[in-house]
Amino acid sequence: MLRISELRASYGAAPVLQSISLHVDRGETVALLGPNGAGKSTLMAAITGTIAQRAGSILLDGVELAAAKSHAIVARGVALVPEGRLVFAPFSVEDNLRLGAIRLKGALAERYEYVYGLFPRLAERRRQLAGTLSGGEQQMLAIGRALMSAPRLLLLDEPFLGLAPMVVQEIRAALERLRATGLTLLIVEQKLDIALSFASRAYVLIKGRVALEETTAALARRPDIDDLYFALASTA
Amino acid sequence: MQDFFELAVGAAASGCVYGLIGLAYLLIIRPTGIINFAVGEWAMLAAFGGYVTLTKYEWPYPVGMAVVLGLMFVVGWATERVVVRRLVEGGAPLLAPILALLGMLVVFRESISVTFPPDPHPVPDAFGIGRLELGPIGGTYQSFFTIVTALGVFIGAWLFFERTVAGKAFEAVALNRRAAALMGIDLTRVTALSFGAGAVVAGLGGLLVAPNISAHYLMGVPLAIQGFTALVIGGVGRVAGPLLGGLLLALAEQLTVRYAPVPAGYAQGVPLVLLMVFLLLRPTGLLKAKV
Repeated sequence: MLRISELRASYGAAPVLQSISLHVDRGETVALLGPNGAGKSTLMAAITGTIAQRAGSILLDGVELAAAKSHAIVARGVALVPEGRLVFAPFSVEDNLRLGAIRLKGALAERYEYVYGLFPRLAERRRQLAGTLSGGEQQMLAIGRALMSAPRLLLLDEPFLGLAPMVVQEIRAALERLRATGLTLLIVEQKLDIALSFASRAYVLIKGRVALEETTAALARRPDIDDLYFALASTA
Repeated sequence: MQDFFELAVGAAASGCVYGLIGLAYLLIIRPTGIINFAVGEWAMLAAFGGYVTLTKYEWPYPVGMAVVLGLMFVVGWATERVVVRRLVEGGAPLLAPILALLGMLVVFRESISVTFPPDPHPVPDAFGIGRLELGPIGGTYQSFFTIVTALGVFIGAWLFFERTVAGKAFEAVALNRRAAALMGIDLTRVTALSFGAGAVVAGLGGLLVAPNISAHYLMGVPLAIQGFTALVIGGVGRVAGPLLGGLLLALAEQLTVRYAPVPAGYAQGVPLVLLMVFLLLRPTGLLKAKV
């Protein structure tokens, strides 16, 4: 479904992604691992067109997105739940969701129902301002907002960061339900235990390059798995 | 008291003009962060548009007004397209488009100064010359027309931002450009529309004030300063900010002229003094943004 080859991206003169090649198949859940500064979030920005300087190829179902603008990429069915959630704090929950569906034409009742079904807490708080929600609820809103555009590929950038274990469970259960519907997921995750048990395949990014690609089952069986992450982190 | 009411109506009309110029700044600052000092020149261009369509060709006022404001939209849109877009999308720092627009300020002004003789060019009142008395409150037709029109624009702008999805999308861009882009909002189009709308609103201010001060190629910079002061006093956080700021500024100006024991020329310093006071003591303006 998503096929990235020799993708390079930079902020100003400093290259962040050197030459990334990876693929995500339809219905697959793929994890993106790597230490801070490896370029994981930049890769998300490059896929969604929110970084100005990028080169290489990003194919979504055979359509080239490397030169497309962000709004066109959303219209093609790619949605990102960004790091830090970035909900629109002064807007109500419902207005946040409405903006998520801005590229959709026609009635949205079914989209709202879908999101509220996934996160009943958002339905309870639909008139509340997003800025007054708890961190976990904001994350649910960020995910719900991304789902409003009816994406085929959902990108998640550290969706569990800074959340209480119970909320992590709740959001994880929702993501598992999404996965069961056949939605394709690409998830940036720092915590190995979550990444390995949730995704079927993983890429490890180091210094803007893909250092390792493995199924999570194989990765979990590696005897050096505990050291791996520290080793990866210390090379950065 | 009669004297004060007379002054208040005149001040309210001037304040509404300053408010419109302030709103023109705000419409562009909110989604882009760009302070466009050329809004004063846009007001000047529209005043000359009023001179050409209404005085020279004597078109009916509504027709001339619609044509001028329509052209102003094109001017604003073209300014964004030609001057701003390449800089913003190329990732230039915010100062680059601000300086480029200062350059455009000179281009607009000089293009008028070489086209028209340097005299004041008369622009007619919307309803002719006359006075309206509402109880103790009295003023010229043009004053009341200015007040009503400006209030209409501000109410319209408020409804747009509060009640429509498109308005929310504009606000979303103002709150967080990246998050807005991730929603699928077309940032380029929002930016272009904000420049177009800014030019229409600034042009409306120029058209409304022109009968009092006549169209002149140097009228832009004072309006740009007054509008900017209105914006700083009221704050960029809310649509009503520049209107409140404009009204306070105009009242302060008129009270200085009428009652302060200083030469009338000193009134021109009032906006600059207020600008300094607010930038030093309350840089966010009177109205707090809702966050």
